[in-house]
Amino acid sequence: MESRVVNKGQISELLDKLAKDYNLIAPIKEETMTLFRRVSGAQDVLLDYNNSDISPKGCFLPQNEKTFSYMYTGDTLEINKPEGVQKTVLFGARPCDIKAILTFDPVFEGVKFGDEYYSNKRKSTVIIGLSCSKVLSTCFCYAMGGGPCDGTGSDLLLTEIGDKYYVEVNTEKGKALVDAYSQIFSSQGAEQLAKDKEELAKKLSGEFVRKVDLTGVKEVLDGNFELPYWDGDNAKKCIGCGTCTYVCPTCHCFDIFDYPTGDFTGDRLRCWDSCMFPEYTLEAGGHNPRPTRKERIRNRFMHKIKYHLDRYNMVGCVGCGRCVNKCPVNIDITKIINDLKEVAQNV
Amino acid sequence: MSNPTALTPYPATITKIDVEASDTKTFTVVFDDPEIMENFGNQPGQVCMLSAFGEGESTISITSSPTRGKFLEFCVRRVGRLTSVLHQMEVGQKIGVRGPYGNGFPYETMKGKDLFFVGGGSALAPIRSLIDYALSEQYRSDYGKVEILYGARSMDDILFKSDLAERWPKIHNTGIYTTIDREEEGWKGHVGFVPSYVEEVAPSPENKIAIVAGPPIMIKFTLPVFAKLGFKDDQIITTLEMRMKCCLGKCGRCNIGSKFICVDGPVFSLAQLKQMPQEY
Ligand SMILES: Cc1cc2nc3c(=O)[nH]c(=O)nc-3n(C[C@H](O)[C@H](O)[C@H](O)COP(=O)(O)OP(=O)(O)OC[C@H]3O[C@@H](n4cnc5c(N)ncnc54)[C@H](O)[C@@H]3O)c2cc1C
Ligand code: SF4
Ligand code: SF4
Ligand code: FES
Repeated sequence: MESRVVNKGQISELLDKLAKDYNLIAPIKEETMTLFRRVSGAQDVLLDYNNSDISPKGCFLPQNEKTFSYMYTGDTLEINKPEGVQKTVLFGARPCDIKAILTFDPVFEGVKFGDEYYSNKRKSTVIIGLSCSKVLSTCFCYAMGGGPCDGTGSDLLLTEIGDKYYVEVNTEKGKALVDAYSQIFSSQGAEQLAKDKEELAKKLSGEFVRKVDLTGVKEVLDGNFELPYWDGDNAKKCIGCGTCTYVCPTCHCFDIFDYPTGDFTGDRLRCWDSCMFPEYTLEAGGHNPRPTRKERIRNRFMHKIKYHLDRYNMVGCVGCGRCVNKCPVNIDITKIINDLKEVAQNV
Repeated sequence: MSNPTALTPYPATITKIDVEASDTKTFTVVFDDPEIMENFGNQPGQVCMLSAFGEGESTISITSSPTRGKFLEFCVRRVGRLTSVLHQMEVGQKIGVRGPYGNGFPYETMKGKDLFFVGGGSALAPIRSLIDYALSEQYRSDYGKVEILYGARSMDDILFKSDLAERWPKIHNTGIYTTIDREEEGWKGHVGFVPSYVEEVAPSPENKIAIVAGPPIMIKFTLPVFAKLGFKDDQIITTLEMRMKCCLGKCGRCNIGSKFICVDGPVFSLAQLKQMPQEY
């Protein structure tokens, strides 16, 4: 694997160039929220943020996405798909969020049915990750196979060390990008920074306050769908607001509907949806297979720690801690995992 | 076959509309592009997503068998917004169709066996594709006796009346049993609910597969009857209806445990269902 170095003083220059040459998506501050948006240059980009409030999943699965537009009069029908996608750089994604994109891949690029909307964006996007420099009290990526400086899934991973960024070149796509801006990405001092990064990773790995351990949890769930545990507090507390799924970088559920734009024209949209809404599974006849919060909570957390694993051999949670942080009634996946471990002792 | 344009429907034209009941119509539909029609490759038991532009999409079973020709039939019950829009459509109008989706019936492994179909209400639609497949000239000799026990709420609610009364009984080695829930003037057939009628007809489990489709309550009371008659769990096949949006295993909502019913189902044997969480 190759590596490079960027002087902090040159990062603005890099971002300005990227914004010129690509559709650049980067973290920004919007009112009180940190989120990812298209930026026009370095001045908009927030570099010292911890974890964004909203993950960059929208880069590949936009919150609202037009899949085609139609012109329909009854007797005539025309369907037009949107133009091709622009080449994009996703800058500043955190390791957990990049890992989350990897959990999307088998869903959208499955063997049976592809998803051109997703794949086109995925193909034409270079992911420049940014190692975390701090561990938050809600973080537990280490327990889900990740880490604050883990570059898995990124094309380039930047790690801030002193007045420099250490750059790991992880893919050909990443290599092409550093080559294209070779006046910014130098090789000088990379060896020392590699060691410094190791040190940083080691230091950060000792800073997690949440003790989470998945071993044995899936095994309990495998044989026990009807655990009395699911009737407990969580089901009573949840208000079904859908915040957890909205902020979750691995939640990929969507709804599909039409949005008329005129008498005969309209757009077919797909929009994020939430399994925590009762209507999500409600059928026309009134039957609902997941009628209460108990079933919905169970489904969401089973999806994260069992179903996604069963289906795609990947845990469906990356430990970003967003749902822990944002749930208005403090429903906490790390507590659920730990509770289930306890339950496991008694079944 | 991987279809990269999976979310985009193909334009199709309604060529025929049959009124089945006050709330149910069967639409015959043909793709505008003959090549798509030719290569659609639908199997009995599969479904499509129908688009009514302006309303969105609904999952509807393909009720016709591919053996009947290069067209698709959809039997649609008017229950909500989209299905109401479909019901207002006329011959010659366009809809969007994408598919075919789902695993379909295991019609290959059913070969050499007798088939006993049980349908309740509008659920005759999904099993009709297999009935017509097994009764087609091409494949009739591959299957043994084909029996159909169908229950509807009232005479008006009986779907595919001419299939039940004329077309199917005329075919060699078939048995048709139709019942309605309550006595009605002009009805000379059986009266009563499906489960008890199955008990009365008492099909023998020997070399037979039961294909059961209907509202959850009917399924719930019918399955024990088959068990009592000696049917094993892998001799009972059913088809599920979970709410669906994408039919591609991506939008998430149709899951039962780690299975997505739109791609792993909707057809399951009772043996398979018993391995799955009871959340449907
Ligand atoms: C595998 C499968 C096969 C089906 N086959 C048929 C069929 O052959 N004939 C038929 O008439 N109906 C069938 N249905 C049910 C049909 O999809 C719904 O009745 C229909 O989508 C209701 O749409 P609506 O807009 O009229 O109702 P609304 O209540 O206005 O529905 C709003 C939305 O809910 C969804 N929805 C509501 N109920 C259901 C449901 N039971 N299943 C799935 N989605 C639902 C639809 O996506 C719809 O867009 C099938 C459903 C499934 C899952
Ligand atoms: S379940 Fe919670 S902690 Fe896990 S990835 Fe989703 S939002 Fe992050
Ligand atoms: S954020 Fe909390 S309250 Fe809201 S739906 Fe999720 S678990 Fe329930
Ligand atoms: S309908 Fe979307 S996953 Fe099954």
